[in-house]
Amino acid sequence: MQSWRRKALLLALSASWLLVLLGAFPLLRLAVPTRPRAGASQGWPRWLDAELLQSFSQPGELLEDAPEPPQGPRGGSCDWGACFDASKCRGGGLKVFVYSAAGPVSETHRRILASIEGSRYHTSNAAEACLLLLPLTRDSSAGECSPVPPQWNGGRNHLVLSLHPAPCPRTFQLGQAMVAEASPTVDTFRHGFDVALPLLPEAHALRGGAPGQLRQHSPHPRVALLALAEERGGWHTAGTNFSACPWDGRCEQDHGPEQTHPGATLPNATFCLIPGHRPDASHFLQALQAGCIPVLLSPRWELPFSEVIDWTKAAIVTDKRLPLQVLAALQQMPLTRVLALRQQTQFLWDAYFSSVEKVIHTTLEIIQDRIFGASAHPSLLWNSPPGALLALSTFSTSPSDFPFYHVQQGSRPVGRFSALIWVGAPGKPPLKLIQAVAGSQHCAQHSFSEPQALGSMLRMQRKSRKIPPQIQIQILVLWSSEKPPPPRWPETAVPLTVSEGHRKVSDRFFPYNAISTDAILSLDAHSSLSTSEVDFAFVVWQSFPERMVGFLTWNHFWDEALGGWGYTAERANEFSMVLTSAAFYHRYYHTLFTHSLPEALRALADEAPTCVDVLMNFLVAAVTKLPPIKVPYRKQHQEARPPLAPEGRGPRPEPQPPVRNCINQMAAGFGHMPLVSSRLRLDPVLFKDSVSVLRKKYRSLEKP
Amino acid sequence: MPWAEECEEGAVWVIMCAAVKYNLRGPALIPRMKTRHRIYYITLFSIVLLGLIATGVFQFWPHSIESSNDWSVEKRSIRDVPVVRLPADSPIPERGDLSCRMHTCFHVYRCGFNPKNKIKVYIYSLKKYVDDSGVPVSNTISREYNELLTAISDSDYYTDDINRACLFVPSIDVLNQNALRIKETAQALAQLSRWDRGTNHLLFNMLPGGPPDYNTALDVPRDRALLAGGGFSTWTYRQGYDVSIPVYSPLSAEVDLPERGPGPRRYFLLSSQTALHPEYREELDALQARHGASVLVLEKCTNLSEGVPAVRKRCHRHQVFDYPQVLQEATFCMVLRGARLGQAVLSDVLRAGCVPVVIADSYILPFSEVLDWKRASVVVPEEKMSDVYSILQSIPQRQIEEMQRQARWFWEAYFQSIKAIALATLQIINDRIYPYAASSYEEWNDPPTVKWGSVSNPLFLPLIPPQSQGFTAIVLTYDRVESLFRVITEVSKVPSLAKLLVVWNNQNKNPPEDSLWPKIRVPLKVVRTAENKLSNRFFPYDEIETEAVLAIDDDIIMLTSDELQFGYEVWREFPDRLVGYPGRLHLWDHEMNKWKYESEWTNEVSMVLTGAAFYHKYFNYLYTYKMPGDIKSWVDAHMNCEDIAMNFLVANVTGKAVIKVTPRKKFKCPECTAIDGLSLDQTHMVERSECINKFASVFGTMPLKVVEHRADPVLYKDDFPEKLKSFPNIGSL
Repeated sequence: MQSWRRKALLLALSASWLLVLLGAFPLLRLAVPTRPRAGASQGWPRWLDAELLQSFSQPGELLEDAPEPPQGPRGGSCDWGACFDASKCRGGGLKVFVYSAAGPVSETHRRILASIEGSRYHTSNAAEACLLLLPLTRDSSAGECSPVPPQWNGGRNHLVLSLHPAPCPRTFQLGQAMVAEASPTVDTFRHGFDVALPLLPEAHALRGGAPGQLRQHSPHPRVALLALAEERGGWHTAGTNFSACPWDGRCEQDHGPEQTHPGATLPNATFCLIPGHRPDASHFLQALQAGCIPVLLSPRWELPFSEVIDWTKAAIVTDKRLPLQVLAALQQMPLTRVLALRQQTQFLWDAYFSSVEKVIHTTLEIIQDRIFGASAHPSLLWNSPPGALLALSTFSTSPSDFPFYHVQQGSRPVGRFSALIWVGAPGKPPLKLIQAVAGSQHCAQHSFSEPQALGSMLRMQRKSRKIPPQIQIQILVLWSSEKPPPPRWPETAVPLTVSEGHRKVSDRFFPYNAISTDAILSLDAHSSLSTSEVDFAFVVWQSFPERMVGFLTWNHFWDEALGGWGYTAERANEFSMVLTSAAFYHRYYHTLFTHSLPEALRALADEAPTCVDVLMNFLVAAVTKLPPIKVPYRKQHQEARPPLAPEGRGPRPEPQPPVRNCINQMAAGFGHMPLVSSRLRLDPVLFKDSVSVLRKKYRSLEKP
Repeated sequence: MPWAEECEEGAVWVIMCAAVKYNLRGPALIPRMKTRHRIYYITLFSIVLLGLIATGVFQFWPHSIESSNDWSVEKRSIRDVPVVRLPADSPIPERGDLSCRMHTCFHVYRCGFNPKNKIKVYIYSLKKYVDDSGVPVSNTISREYNELLTAISDSDYYTDDINRACLFVPSIDVLNQNALRIKETAQALAQLSRWDRGTNHLLFNMLPGGPPDYNTALDVPRDRALLAGGGFSTWTYRQGYDVSIPVYSPLSAEVDLPERGPGPRRYFLLSSQTALHPEYREELDALQARHGASVLVLEKCTNLSEGVPAVRKRCHRHQVFDYPQVLQEATFCMVLRGARLGQAVLSDVLRAGCVPVVIADSYILPFSEVLDWKRASVVVPEEKMSDVYSILQSIPQRQIEEMQRQARWFWEAYFQSIKAIALATLQIINDRIYPYAASSYEEWNDPPTVKWGSVSNPLFLPLIPPQSQGFTAIVLTYDRVESLFRVITEVSKVPSLAKLLVVWNNQNKNPPEDSLWPKIRVPLKVVRTAENKLSNRFFPYDEIETEAVLAIDDDIIMLTSDELQFGYEVWREFPDRLVGYPGRLHLWDHEMNKWKYESEWTNEVSMVLTGAAFYHKYFNYLYTYKMPGDIKSWVDAHMNCEDIAMNFLVANVTGKAVIKVTPRKKFKCPECTAIDGLSLDQTHMVERSECINKFASVFGTMPLKVVEHRADPVLYKDDFPEKLKSFPNIGSL
């Protein structure tokens, strides 16, 4: 009996358990039907009568909002449309007038003046200026700086520039003036009106500036994962395997090797943590230069030039309140991203920050972009090498017009070139040369052919190399001799234009409207080239449209004895310049040469004609950071002397003193030595190989 | 109503507890059992039985519970939503705080650690709010807001767990400020269960302000809430906090407007807005008078017959045009400010591939935080309106076409539906919270065709690595020890060699003992592999400490030291390319209609053999981890074409051609040529051609680039004393 009961009881208990398990929950569900549960089916309900819902606006309401008259600026705050009068800036781009200091000129003021004077922005006439620049500097007399300038006009079209923070109390109302200051706080910064500058150290280079420190494309972690900016100005590095927050100095455990660097050295770490307080902004530039990816923790200051620079490509702006997440994200960041960020830091440093001049010019270029509106620099030009200061928007706004972006855009330069023949003092018409160059058009060259089978993923591609279109060329003769040009020119199959008039030497690099092709073959009257040489060089140039492709070379060297740069025309195992008496390059370099180089450097080139070659090579090297390209040239004996030294200077191995002086003055003008040496020459694939000459495409290149 | 939820959770808890207690007490009852308790048991049994039956009914009666559940949760009518009465004195939030930024007003802790880097968004359930006297505060919900919440709910961002949410979206519809009562709506917001001064709350508003002064941001006091607003001006927009969104055009859904390609159109400039201030109207008329037929200024139609929707027609004098179709006839379309800065016409204009000319000073264009409007629009200051024609004419035709394409793409990606607007808004906020995983400028702005056509070289910074770094030679070997030792000895003579790595690909045999290896001046490491695979040669071994890698086969003994050193020097000048010795070419076979591999000594080169080639270590990483499709396994299975695969990979990712150095044409030593006969050669060629075709189809394109040059030392074969040349012994064919 007992056992039966016990069994019954157990049965009852288990059954009631079952009941509870199986029954209660469905019952419960019934009892409270609207309770939201976890699960994918939950979400915003699908209303039965969703079809009947009214639109958020009544029909016609969107069209009919009451028309309002145009409004003026409100509450004393300014924006670009309201407070800048762009009508003064018509034509010729931005013209800037800089107020000179009343008393003794301070160092900062002098640097600002120096970087604008001689640039394309400068004007000395306040009346024709579109922008008036008022530098605020620290060490003026009497504590207060910069009294209200004469043409103040309520600050309209004024830019108040303070390179270093809070130099002195302003004695005047800003009015409608724009402010360019270092690391402005986000609360007062007016987007699209003010300009945020980097916080420069006092001893920042005026020109050129120190190069970035990344010497290789390595995606590998550095010695330390993180470096933390310290209040005192130094850096504090932490190893790769820590778990706690390193940035408030209050970590329970410190892992890995740690050391504190003195303020001067740059951090050797993959990431640089920079706290959000304003004084820490100075660390930002250090990190950028060192190729240490800046990780900004809730910055309360505006990033420099944030209007145009896409900082997400070079830095990580994150929230300091999520330390563990940020650390985890940094540790897990893919190599590809680290590599890209690192390279971008170097590009940005070098393009916009490494010198005072670059900072000032970037500021002005930003304002010019605002004025230009639709013809401003596209974002690509700002954010990829060589940067917007070297890719002038006055030339074009379409990236494929420049030599730099073809690979990125999947485009190619136009398959034609123009020959530009400079006829100097002897005034002998270069008839043979014209024939040789004009002959080039009969040569079959590269082509685009229609993609066929591969359909799906379309990329504009050159697929096979058949269907030769003709290289169209045109020849432009710059007759710059005292003698008049001959009345008759040889019959050529290509259009030939003769442009007369005595010109300065630097005028050979003027952006002539007659040149419409991407490639220019620059020639001297006494150059001697064969059609084969021209053809091959042009094909090579198409692979390297941003570089100069030439036949004759010079090499530069550091002369210990004289403590300066020198260069030589001697044949050597390496070279760093190609002579423009026979070279292919992109026509954009004419624009850059004429509009971007300081006036003083071009004047220098006019005085010493060989200098013009040096200057052009400096310019291209400064833009590309790469050496020029040499292609084979038959007439080796010509290499023995600089061909552009016509005044009987003779085949001397050593360049003359004024020439040496020229390269040093150029280096001073650029602020650094941009030339890069190369040890290779590009030859045709079968060049001088012991195979049948019939196989070879460029046979005549090999004739002795 | 969180209190209700807690209550319900409490109820569950009580029942569970009761059951547990019952269970615990059960055994204790047994000794005290008596006959008179039989009734108790019978009752118990019957309860159990009933319970079981009931359970069975619930479990096996299909749909009874679920459908009722469905009905109650999902298929409800909006008329049945709960009504909430707002007392007249219930709290009102502060006005919007203009100084708010993500790191001051946003409670980022709520977004916590999230491996997917996606914020979680919670949507409050729908309520109908009435004031004290029972008058509704607003329309319960508009069609668009319902669509918007549905889109969020269907997206990856949605969570129904209020405790895990990072962002809260009220179901109170504030899309149109004119359709609501400001004070009461604010009170309704304030009583939301997680309101907390509006922290982490996101409001969507497209039509802000109201007569007479038309504020450019929603007037409803909202404290710290983020505002996704249409029509912000620089004065009200909190940069980096608010999100500027488009004003949705209902025509997007109503009208079918097929895409029309870019190119010249009938009218140069068109204005289609009907309600314009007389001053603007005068300016427009003046423009038309000056430029004649290329400018078309449309107005509202006055004499339309009944039944024709006025929204869909525009008139010029007596001519009637269909709207928005007429927009496709113009290159540029005016988007002028009305009382509000944000205009729905912008959406229609973009859709028509017409470049908007935005004349609305201080207007923050939609999604301007991420979209580059310079590429799709022209912004003209109001005071320059009279010059607009000349400003537009100065834009080159190519740029105009680019803008037309871009305009249409913006509409397709971010304007065309409420869903697109909602998701773009959330993505922007998400990118702020997880900046290290944010979408790039290109991802936001480049149309798909551009994305496909462009190449982003991973080694884009132009720099020449220092010579001092040297290179690491990687020798892949199986068992040819003698030949291997010769290669090691030869390579070790190259001045810039920094390290030698032997990849021992034979699992059945141990490498020779340490003492047997040649003694060389640089460190020599042997790596043993787990499997005999060709791809082992391209593995990014940690032992490789230099950027430059020389991949070399264990039978390449013919390369001279000068030749290798020169190869390294060339690589330094082209660190993002494959630099190799014998070159090969791909050709299009017109008869077979496919690619062909060519090893004849031609004037052109598109590949180099990796039997000996310099390249950047990074490409090892790409080969191992980022090789598209099944190429890697295919190569390992066929034991061939790893070099072609590498050539494809590098050309595809950099968009650049290889560099062939020196005259070298083949690797085979003279004494080996007799071994492989013609037939062997032919199968080899067929296999290699197959590889090219296979890879081209996997890559979806032919990335290889053909060039006609090779790199030689500057003074190669020049008439110059040999002993003064840097690389006198540069090798032969």
